[in-house]
Amino acid sequence: MISTIPLTRRATLGGVMGLLALQAGLSQAQAATTGGKLVFGRYADSLFLDPVLTDANVDIWVMTNIYDTLLLPTANGQGTQPGLATAYEITDGGKTVTLTLREGVKFSDGTPLSADDVVWSLDRARDPKAGPWNSLLASVDHVDAAGNTVVLRLKNPDATIIPVLATFNTAILPKKAFEAMPGDTMDDKAKAFGEKPIGTGPFVLVEWKRGSSMKLRRNPQYWRKADNGQALPLLDELEFQIIPDDSTRLLKLKAGELDGVEFVPFARVKELQADPNLRMELWPSTRVAYLTMNVRPTLNGAPNPLANLKVRQALNYAMNKDAVIGVTTLGLGKPMRSFMSSATPLFAPSPLYPYDLAKAKALLAEAGMAGGFDLTCLTLSGNQDNLTNLTLAQQMWSAIGVRLKIEQLDNPTLTAHYRAGTFQLRTAAWTDDIADPSEITSYFAYFPNIASLHSGWQDARADELYLASQREIDPAKRAAQYTEIQSIYNAAAPIVYLYETPYPVAFRAKVKGFVQIPLGNNIFEMASVEK
Amino acid sequence: MNRAGAIAGRIAQIVPTFFLIGLVVFVLARLLPGDAVSAMLGDRATDETVQRITHQLGLDRSILSQLVAFLAQAAQGRFGESLAFRVPVASLIVERLPVTLMLTGMATLIALCLALPLAFVAAMTANRWPDILIRTVFQVGLSSPVFFVGLVLLTIFAAGLHLFPVGGYGEGFGEHLYHLFLPALTLALSFSAVIMRTLRGSILAVLRAEFVDFARAKGLSSRVILLRHVLRSAAITTVTLVGLHIGSLLGGAVITESVFAVPGVGRLMVDSIFSRDYPVIQALTLILAVLVSLTFLATDLLHGWLDPRTGV
Repeated sequence: MISTIPLTRRATLGGVMGLLALQAGLSQAQAATTGGKLVFGRYADSLFLDPVLTDANVDIWVMTNIYDTLLLPTANGQGTQPGLATAYEITDGGKTVTLTLREGVKFSDGTPLSADDVVWSLDRARDPKAGPWNSLLASVDHVDAAGNTVVLRLKNPDATIIPVLATFNTAILPKKAFEAMPGDTMDDKAKAFGEKPIGTGPFVLVEWKRGSSMKLRRNPQYWRKADNGQALPLLDELEFQIIPDDSTRLLKLKAGELDGVEFVPFARVKELQADPNLRMELWPSTRVAYLTMNVRPTLNGAPNPLANLKVRQALNYAMNKDAVIGVTTLGLGKPMRSFMSSATPLFAPSPLYPYDLAKAKALLAEAGMAGGFDLTCLTLSGNQDNLTNLTLAQQMWSAIGVRLKIEQLDNPTLTAHYRAGTFQLRTAAWTDDIADPSEITSYFAYFPNIASLHSGWQDARADELYLASQREIDPAKRAAQYTEIQSIYNAAAPIVYLYETPYPVAFRAKVKGFVQIPLGNNIFEMASVEK
Repeated sequence: MNRAGAIAGRIAQIVPTFFLIGLVVFVLARLLPGDAVSAMLGDRATDETVQRITHQLGLDRSILSQLVAFLAQAAQGRFGESLAFRVPVASLIVERLPVTLMLTGMATLIALCLALPLAFVAAMTANRWPDILIRTVFQVGLSSPVFFVGLVLLTIFAAGLHLFPVGGYGEGFGEHLYHLFLPALTLALSFSAVIMRTLRGSILAVLRAEFVDFARAKGLSSRVILLRHVLRSAAITTVTLVGLHIGSLLGGAVITESVFAVPGVGRLMVDSIFSRDYPVIQALTLILAVLVSLTFLATDLLHGWLDPRTGV
């Protein structure tokens, strides 16, 4: 999702570390210690642990420890693997998906998982009145259950339905327990259920002090086993402590009061790498950082230079991505090669606007802007990385006569300008939630969704390709469609491309087996603390 | 008017104050750019989703009708539900208010313990080296930003010497005291500087006052003078200062709570403003207003007791 939270300073080591680690994860368990407690420092607390009604990373990234989906994303974030369903079959020209449920799965309250729970959960997730994610299941006409199988009948073939079944909002909840919650409406029941969630995931929430701590205990009913047959999760207890201040979070880790922390600032990564008591992990991510441009011809009554393609390209050519990566991420990022990250399926890279000042000047001259112009960029106050990026942009663009003004705002104000389309340029970042390129593309390049990141950019061919790709079940044809969408979008440059960064997570050296997949999910089931 | 009547009068004055504060906060929160639903749903919600949730939460009603509903609820002590956390505001505040009260209480105590004796020493040795040393040290405390002092204390006493935990709140009263010591000390350092300087000044003023010369001339011992005149005057000054500064202590708690990861109302307030969580902003402001008003009342009463000339 788009990160709008301050203090998100994240980095990428391109590399295959994540992939190797998760594949090794289950077999690693051979040597893993069981039992014990892991205390993990988070920068912000979760808000609402209902998979259907939430849209925040602080919820999404930890919910997978409580709930399961029918399928699970693979470690590289690009495919799916069996979850609550052991197998699936697509028939009827892509219009029927038949899933076989895993035998013997129980919810944390001891009740067995039934096909009814699955039908109910999917129906709730696709209810158009039920939250921001229902459109992921828009192709579903109805869901049937027969014994141990669940059948999704689709209105049309849907290329994304399989990754969607591995996405948090299609998590399976116990129908009876949910409906037995106090409250008159489904919303009230969801609130009550979100306080004491019941899932089939590796952990159970036992105590939650808002903004302070969250305690989870091992779910003894959990179905998944490690390769060596060891029952998962390995830990008895998992505690999240909320430490918003970066420096304090790291001090607590160093003092041994925390076993791990998320969002290590890039500036501190080297220091932690050098500490023999700690292990700095940089997990490959789908996160991209960029500046969104408003391409509407006029803005607040005045002509908008960003409406001109050549101006947008010039700004991109004048932006030295490598220099920005060196300064802001201390070399931990890598330049964007498309609007989607290199970890996104069907990523089609191109040499995206290599730094070329002469070309930038020539393009501006062709656009009739040789004398430069004034630009204003909105950014989230308190986010140091964004501010550094903009300070660098200010210098780099001054070389082509562009005078950049930086305006710092708080999140709701920034969002209001964004939604109203009254921004000229804004800082932004994105992380995929689905192991598929459709999500990011629907927000960046497909106009009818949110006007292409509220930029006003629209391309009829891109819209058409996107719609066709949603129904295209031939992987080769779909890949070709995505190559074309990316080439159209990247040539039109409605954003200023910056960099990809990894997720920087640090642990005490005795902690093993934590995994963060490129979609951001924090996976603790294979984590252990050596004695 | 008798004493009880005077107190009742003061309390009666407070009620319309609360009403005004409630009104102002309600309107101001809604005048802020941006809205709760956009903040809650994030950047990518579609317009339809935003409209649907806005309607569900009743935020599309006129400000006047929302205000009437808010005042009617608040009068019954009900503050509704947090938009961001989706739990009753009361439960959020009940969890966190004691933390902040304990923090500010401890900070006040520490500040007094530091400031009172040193103010006397400074006043007695005015402009000689102990006085200059004390003033210099406190000047540093006063002029250092709270987040910086906090981090320095954390680095030295918690991460370095392991004498205290690095932030957090712990479980049980004993652990709370232990966890809150460094944050309270951080808050106390700048506050104690204010008390010390003012108190030193007022002690000096008393010592130079004519009535003290007169007392001396009467043959009263220095000890009696100190106890009867100087201490009383010092107590009045201190009570006034503490009363006046409760508000800024609560304000300082916002930063301290963030640095030390203390789950108090200060952090809740900041988070609520950033997420436009109107019910929480409103309830917290009202409750803090009540606290400050009660402190003022208590200050006035103490004042009256220490110095009957002031009335109440």
